[in-house]
Amino acid sequence: MRKKHLLSLLFLTAGVALLVAALSVGAASSATSSVKKAGALRGGVLRVAQSNTDFDTVDPGLAYVTNDWTLLYATQMLLVNFPEKNGQAGSELYPEAATSFPTVSKDGKTYTFHIRPGLKFSDGSAVTAASYQRAWERNLSPKMGSPYGVNDQFQKVIVGGEDFLAGKTQHIAGITAKGLTITFHLTHPNPTFTSYLSMQWFGAVKPDMPYTTTGINVYPSAGPYYIASRDPGRTTVLKRNPYYKGSRPANPDQIVITSNTNQDQALLQTKAGTFDFDMNTVPSTAAADLGATYGVNKGRFFVGPTACVDYLLLNTARPPTDNVAVRKALNWGIDRPALLRILGKYAGARSDQILVPGIPGYKPYKIYAFSGADAAKAKTVGGSALTSAGTFNVLHTTSPARTAQAQVIEYNLKQLGLKYNDVPTAGTTYYNTLETKGTSYNIARAGWCADYFDPFDYINVLLDGRSIQANNNTNMSYLNAPALNKAMDAAAALSGKARADAYAKLDLQVMRDYAPWVPYQINNDRFFVSARTKNWIYSTYFGEPDLNALAVG
Amino acid sequence: MAAFLIRRLFWALFLFFAATIVTYLIFFVIPADPAKLAAGRNATAQDVKRVAAFLHLNVPLYQQYWIFLWNIIRHGSLGYSYVSRQPVRFLIGQDAPVTASLVFGGAVFWLSLSIPVGILSALRPRSVMDRLSMTFVLIGISAHPVWIGLILSFVVGYKLHWTPIAGYCNFFPGSSAVQCSGPVQWAYHMILPWVTFMVLFAALYVRLVRANVIETMSEDYVRTARAKGASERRVMVQHVLRNSMLPVVTILGMDIGLALGGAVFTESIFSLPGLGHDLIAANNAGDLPLITGIVVFATIAVITFNLIVDVAYAVLDPRIRLT
Repeated sequence: MRKKHLLSLLFLTAGVALLVAALSVGAASSATSSVKKAGALRGGVLRVAQSNTDFDTVDPGLAYVTNDWTLLYATQMLLVNFPEKNGQAGSELYPEAATSFPTVSKDGKTYTFHIRPGLKFSDGSAVTAASYQRAWERNLSPKMGSPYGVNDQFQKVIVGGEDFLAGKTQHIAGITAKGLTITFHLTHPNPTFTSYLSMQWFGAVKPDMPYTTTGINVYPSAGPYYIASRDPGRTTVLKRNPYYKGSRPANPDQIVITSNTNQDQALLQTKAGTFDFDMNTVPSTAAADLGATYGVNKGRFFVGPTACVDYLLLNTARPPTDNVAVRKALNWGIDRPALLRILGKYAGARSDQILVPGIPGYKPYKIYAFSGADAAKAKTVGGSALTSAGTFNVLHTTSPARTAQAQVIEYNLKQLGLKYNDVPTAGTTYYNTLETKGTSYNIARAGWCADYFDPFDYINVLLDGRSIQANNNTNMSYLNAPALNKAMDAAAALSGKARADAYAKLDLQVMRDYAPWVPYQINNDRFFVSARTKNWIYSTYFGEPDLNALAVG
Repeated sequence: MAAFLIRRLFWALFLFFAATIVTYLIFFVIPADPAKLAAGRNATAQDVKRVAAFLHLNVPLYQQYWIFLWNIIRHGSLGYSYVSRQPVRFLIGQDAPVTASLVFGGAVFWLSLSIPVGILSALRPRSVMDRLSMTFVLIGISAHPVWIGLILSFVVGYKLHWTPIAGYCNFFPGSSAVQCSGPVQWAYHMILPWVTFMVLFAALYVRLVRANVIETMSEDYVRTARAKGASERRVMVQHVLRNSMLPVVTILGMDIGLALGGAVFTESIFSLPGLGHDLIAANNAGDLPLITGIVVFATIAVITFNLIVDVAYAVLDPRIRLT
């Protein structure tokens, strides 16, 4: 009988042998893995996970998604930039490649920058005014097909921008580059212009960097790091720019970013020291445990605010939310803390306003229900408009968190005696539905993060009724109030403190008098770092730590 | 044989056309306007129109499909990703080997386990071994690969440090010192994915092998072989195993195709940059060309694999050609 078992045992032995061989390799590998000494800031390899996603592109002319800019912040040199500092100080622009802030002509239409001499790209070539001219042209060139600069209407900001976009000219007529001096001629005075230049689209690129619709993955850059290699969907490696002479930190020797990791596993891998942190934060379900175990902002688990606001859109173009009394009632009747709790501990701070901390013009106020739904007040405010209101179409994506938030809204509406129509929608078509004029939703969740640190990017971009078009709207509440539009124009024309004050007033006015949203949260981002990671400097603008400042040496 | 081959080839072509038509309809016609998706947020009506023309969405549907098909056949092009702007063909070419290494490595594991265990169970029905294998089968069929993967990576990877928790290393050694690569590291990182991937199929195959062996052992020709005085080893190897493995080969051909679907879970849990993982990412981002490309590629792979199995089986068993 032993013989007839021979074959079976052979197979079994082969399988076990494969496992044992592989495991013994693993044990040997683990034994040889080195552990770097903590202490010195400079040196080592920073290993970063980027769960569930990859950079859509690392070409500065095309990049837009938040993580793209976090990476580019480490590699780019801008005319003006945000410093590697925590808190409010990190949101205040300073001249980086420029010798000083620009000289602005009396009519406010000409901005002149002088570039510091001696700045170099990672291949040793010089940074000149032409480097910044090319950045603008790559952003607006029809040969690039970059939608974002066009979406922000930059072609209308610069003289000759529209002709260049239409392919009628070789260069943008309104940008003059001579040696180390670059001059921008604007079509209209624009106090926001210097803020525009802090966007990663406008970092120095080599003047011969080609136009391409597919983007360039590896290219010389002038910031503290450059992109040494990139496998789309997998790994991106940054190395220190050997020619960088600026004051910005460049602590790790290399930064290796592994994309499309699993978020739960990346947390385990960070605990085990395989990764140093996950760019895409921690799983929301893990936040409470991490906070209890490691404390908040005490070395391992970090919580920081972002420049993002989450809100419920109220469709002002469709009954019953076309009635301002109903919209105000909803601001009293929706349970903000409940919406926030669904996203896990430390997910954000409650809010009932449009602007977020750090943005000029942000002045905190509380004019609606902040600590829970106040159904009685909502009924009083809504009055007969509320009692006679028809059905509310509540649009949400089918993700667990958004579905749960929709259930909170359903409960709150029922408390007010209102009818509710649940409209679950696939994530891929969700914004398409909201952005189409005539959409049938009444209440829908949305969020917004600043492209640049200016209140214009919230209030004018999201609420100017004159921008409403057939499709692809950013004004998804479809509010079009002529008086408000006029006030927005007036605020946009101001600068300095007057501008901040005007936008603070507008923020309050919009929510008090028009209530096109139910803002409920200023988002936090939550990160967990490995035991060896030091020098955590968090950028509110990017909602990420500054990669170049982190230390694992 | 020639007629059989021609018939099978025509079937393969028909399936290819049917699959591409369905894929095209599902992803480009039914859900939403791809031009709006590709144009991005804030795009004006003019931008959407320009993108629609660029994507040939302004021509009749049959022409759109023909352009889609012609690009595949003539240029081997599956378009460009809306998100990364990279050619879909490049992305698939880069990531298909990862999925292949998971599926084929997993198949080696599940066969290595299920064949001996299935045979031993068949030789001693209702023994302790048989009951243990039944328990394994029930767990393997009932437990979801995501759960199995998470438990394995937590216990074996995180707690015991025997394997990596997740991640992938290229098979071929690379030049970068900071990224792992080479066959040894590749196999080391694939252990848990292979084990996770094999559990479901191993469970099914244990029962399949056991049932086939028991059934074959009661065949007349086995009884005749024994009556003629053949040794037990000869009876088992020459008569029982050879015949009982034929259905396993057939099922294996089909299951390799099915396994591509199962790879989605395993790749996701272990952060393997394969096609399944790409599919999830593309779905989350509304990246229609990449979704379509992966579906078309998987379809072609399954059709080709089944064609090869059909032909191989026909060579091994001449009776197949008559059907």
